[in-house]
Amino acid sequence: MPGETRGRLPRRLVPAVLAGGLSLAACPSQPPVDPEAARIGRGRQIFFNETFGGNGRTCGTCHREERSFGIDPAFIATLPKNDPLFVAEFNPDLKQNFENPRLMREFGLILENLDGFDDLASRFTQRGVPHVLALRTSIDSPQGPRTGWSGDGAPADGSLRSFAVGAVIQHFTKRLDRVPGVDFRLPIDEELDALEAFQRSLGRERDLELPLPLRGTVASRGQAIFLDDRLGKCNICHRNAGANATLGGRDAGNANFNTGVESLPDQPARLTAELVPTDDGFGTPGNGTFNTPPLVEAADTGPFFHNNAIETIEGAVAFYNGQAFNNSPSGRFLASTDPNGVGIRLDATQIVAVAAFLRVINTLENIRASTELLGQAEAFSFFQRASAQALLRSAAKEAGDGVAVLRSGCLHPDAVGHLEESVRLIQDAERSLFGRRRLIREAIRAQESARTRLIGEGK
Amino acid sequence: MKEGREPRMRRLMIGVAATLLGAVLPVHGQKATERFIPLGQSPGLSQKATTIGEVADVDARAQTLTVVDKDRRLTVKITEQTQIWLDRSKVKQTTLTGSFSDLKSGRRVEVKYLDPDTRQIAEWVKVEVAQ
Repeated sequence: MPGETRGRLPRRLVPAVLAGGLSLAACPSQPPVDPEAARIGRGRQIFFNETFGGNGRTCGTCHREERSFGIDPAFIATLPKNDPLFVAEFNPDLKQNFENPRLMREFGLILENLDGFDDLASRFTQRGVPHVLALRTSIDSPQGPRTGWSGDGAPADGSLRSFAVGAVIQHFTKRLDRVPGVDFRLPIDEELDALEAFQRSLGRERDLELPLPLRGTVASRGQAIFLDDRLGKCNICHRNAGANATLGGRDAGNANFNTGVESLPDQPARLTAELVPTDDGFGTPGNGTFNTPPLVEAADTGPFFHNNAIETIEGAVAFYNGQAFNNSPSGRFLASTDPNGVGIRLDATQIVAVAAFLRVINTLENIRASTELLGQAEAFSFFQRASAQALLRSAAKEAGDGVAVLRSGCLHPDAVGHLEESVRLIQDAERSLFGRRRLIREAIRAQESARTRLIGEGK
Repeated sequence: MKEGREPRMRRLMIGVAATLLGAVLPVHGQKATERFIPLGQSPGLSQKATTIGEVADVDARAQTLTVVDKDRRLTVKITEQTQIWLDRSKVKQTTLTGSFSDLKSGRRVEVKYLDPDTRQIAEWVKVEVAQ
């Protein structure tokens, strides 16, 4: 979705922003900074600025705030040649077997040595960059935390806290020798604590409670299909459009499944002459399963699946209608429980309806996040303009995301109009010296108007 | 009667499928990058779920390794699946893949167990190379 802007700041960022010294002037009425907010602020600073003595990359090199903490080819095309993302193109020590620049630029794929570092030339995977939103809701399972595309992304104890250690080793190194203290330094405990706190603060903190009283005819039908365990069957693995499954009538938490994505024909990266080995998913050797991501954030965080195989949310829904899914272990299992022996079989109108539902709930999340940021920005005093402006920019990006998500699906033009108005008001507020609070309140009202076009009372 | 059994059967089958599909598999840390973490520095793991000590004995026939950790002696089985890594970070060189023959008395090692409760089988062993 080229052209749109994205971004989400943590809900507890206000004191953290102050702690980070972004305000123009010291303010005697500055609220006390609570330890958790300070930790989140510190984590943010590390996430976007700390290179750990490596090749120049930071966590934010791939997890771009302006792209909802992911990255995609359209955004990559806007980056300068010397961006650390392209380090394999200008660091001779990383020219071979570190990244595939063509696949990175064309499909947003990042090289990972998930099954070991003994054969760098032929043993690797090419994966997209997952967003890191709503992690509070999406990584816990009865067996422990599941991180990354296959749920086993972190070394050591496998936790989100340890994830950064593996990321530094894989992606930040100066040379392929990967010697700690030479090619990078490993994060210390305080940094791991801060990074975890920051990541857990991003996006939603709880799941939706479906069904929602949606106003759109098509989106409402999409929600009904989504929730129907005999038709869409989506809610079995994506309960309440989140990342947790209900299996055997019980909460299975965040689970792994083999849904056959690797069996898709004509995968974009494999249409090139580049080597793209099969990704075997969880474990070493892998068992072919991949981790379930949340869906609320899906519509503005494409491309989709671990290999960025599909560009649009409609295409991602349609995947479950195809042979790759229906012949997979998950698809065959669904068929075995169906009275007619069907896995998932939807017609085009039903696919579009489910996608419309996902677009609408994504926009509702955009509005929630933007309104929250506006409320935080409003609280800043005249002398804290720079801090307020940072929040306002993120609020405008969120609202802009909502515009793009609805418009791409030709949905709710009335809500789009109100959201566009809110973006204009936020931008005016950012520039204004004396009218900031009034403009913020007007922007919040415009977002409320947009929301009431999408959803009725009660939720 | 039939209506009452169907949901039960369905739930049972979903539970079975969950097992087949990997939903109840144990979580593993990514072993691939683990090899580059120096001995004793794995967050949340080192000295909590691992043993760090000196190799006291190696039994090639039984494929076991005995490690002395302070005043405790722990004997663990090395299997074909056990990863052995030579941690050369102290001499600023890359980690190498090792083998059973690299487990020698007196060497400092860190052992992670495949079975944390019974601690009988090693999942990986890091061998410190200090010279």
